[in-house]
Amino acid sequence: MLVFVDQQELDHFQGTATDGVACTWEGEDVVHLHLARPLHGYGKESLCLFTTDASVLEKAGTLSRYSHVVLVDDSKNVSAFEVECGSPKKVDLQFIPSRENLYSRSKGILEVGTLAPKRVMIVGLGSFGSQIAIELAKAGVGQFALMDFDRVELHNLMRHTCVVNDLGRLKTDALYDAIKGKNPYAVVDKFPIDINDDPEILEQEVAKADLIICATDNNRSRFNLSNAVVKFGKTCIFGRANSRAAGGDVFRYVPSGPCYNCLLGNSWFASDNEEVTDVQSARRNGQIAAYVSEEDANAIVQVGLSADINPICNMMVKLSLVELSRGTESGISSLEDELIYDYYMWANRRENRFANWVPLPGAGAKPTILRWYGAHIQKIDNCAICGNGEEMDLDEGDEVEVMLNNLSQD
Amino acid sequence: MISRILHPVVKTVAASAVAGPSPERIRSEIAVFKKKGVADNVYKFFLDGPEPYMVLAAKTNSQKVYTLRVELKNFPNEVPKVFVTRMLKNLNGCKMDGISGSMHTLESEHGWTRICHYGNGSWSQNVSLYKIYVKCCLWLNMYELHLSTGNDIDYYLNHQA
Repeated sequence: MLVFVDQQELDHFQGTATDGVACTWEGEDVVHLHLARPLHGYGKESLCLFTTDASVLEKAGTLSRYSHVVLVDDSKNVSAFEVECGSPKKVDLQFIPSRENLYSRSKGILEVGTLAPKRVMIVGLGSFGSQIAIELAKAGVGQFALMDFDRVELHNLMRHTCVVNDLGRLKTDALYDAIKGKNPYAVVDKFPIDINDDPEILEQEVAKADLIICATDNNRSRFNLSNAVVKFGKTCIFGRANSRAAGGDVFRYVPSGPCYNCLLGNSWFASDNEEVTDVQSARRNGQIAAYVSEEDANAIVQVGLSADINPICNMMVKLSLVELSRGTESGISSLEDELIYDYYMWANRRENRFANWVPLPGAGAKPTILRWYGAHIQKIDNCAICGNGEEMDLDEGDEVEVMLNNLSQD
Repeated sequence: MISRILHPVVKTVAASAVAGPSPERIRSEIAVFKKKGVADNVYKFFLDGPEPYMVLAAKTNSQKVYTLRVELKNFPNEVPKVFVTRMLKNLNGCKMDGISGSMHTLESEHGWTRICHYGNGSWSQNVSLYKIYVKCCLWLNMYELHLSTGNDIDYYLNHQA
């Protein structure tokens, strides 16, 4: 029998005796003992006694209603007993999870002590944001601000970290539980809001964060977030997938570097072939024009595989860890010399904008699939967002002016 | 193309960057209008209050004058709404108050025809109000061509960017 007790709960155990809950995976000989019923219960539940009084183990008949007993002595030593026919039998006990052992496997690669106090703000908890949140929690990031107004829907599940039991829940709540499941010591603040409607909260949280992840599906929210990270001088990682997740890209903003608006200002950058994952949000975002019929709109929705967006999420996580660990000697320090670009591009398949790329076998240095390509982005002189604000370099519409003049001459 | 019918330029600048464009942005927008030779009294900003907007005068090749209202609440983070400040009618005499791909209009508000001048996918924060103004002047000229030929605006514009 494997018996686990939550160390964090025991730290809060007060008094001499209290009833708790034993959650047993039947047929697997595993039981978790809790002071209170877990928020999302599992397995078969039975009563468990938490006590500081060792004498209860000697009194016949007093334990008949319990399946287990947890004894905490004066020296805070903890032992566990399985109760059979009213008689306690000592069993081996393991703690879940002790903070010091939580990230023991990461030692030498990541400086978990550096990541624990870091606060990461994640805007958009869809297939990108949810995966990134969990990966950062697994890496040891200790504080999160989660922002998304949406709920978990059926069409989300196949690419999302949330599960069937989360259907209908706010994504912030579902992700809160998922992060706590990986790191019960994490501080997770939930904001079920649309950042486009709550600029004050957006700015307040950007100001508090060490790093911001932009995993939304529309430019309006990216622009709002971009403005805030430029204003507060915070590093931000933007990521997205192209149509049907044929590929994707990642952009890293660092203070005083080129901003998201500088990226869009590059003539080669294609901003209009984004993945469309559902009609409702695409209409809301304007990705699908208002005059497009429902039938045509449904045809536009082309969702890629989870396996296709994972590499993009993975790059966003790597960049995040590099940024959060920057200046600290760790096993990933060398990545600071490799991940030097502002913009990264990835192709999963040779279609759409990647149709002319060469097949992977024998591609050599030519652009092909399943490889990352990095690029430095030129900062726009007098950028409307990250410039000095004196005289912004705006799109004056010369080409439209020519059309108008031609019309006047006809 | 442009007539002198409105009164001088900037009234005040927005009190909060949240409610509309920043003072720096407004200054840069005005600089573009000046650079392009648009007279000061052709446009006017109304930036006080929670719903900032601007009004512009536009004269078509047929010398008809229209007034445009550009709503600036979330500019430049999203495509601003642009209205012709009256309800236009198409060649068939029907109100242009709904969404039309071929006529490049969106759902009307305030009883005014709303021009679809920019797609969300191609929108960027760099787009100047002057560019929007020129696009709408183009739309108005196409609208008048529609009235005389029956061709949809789409026929002339071949879909705006």
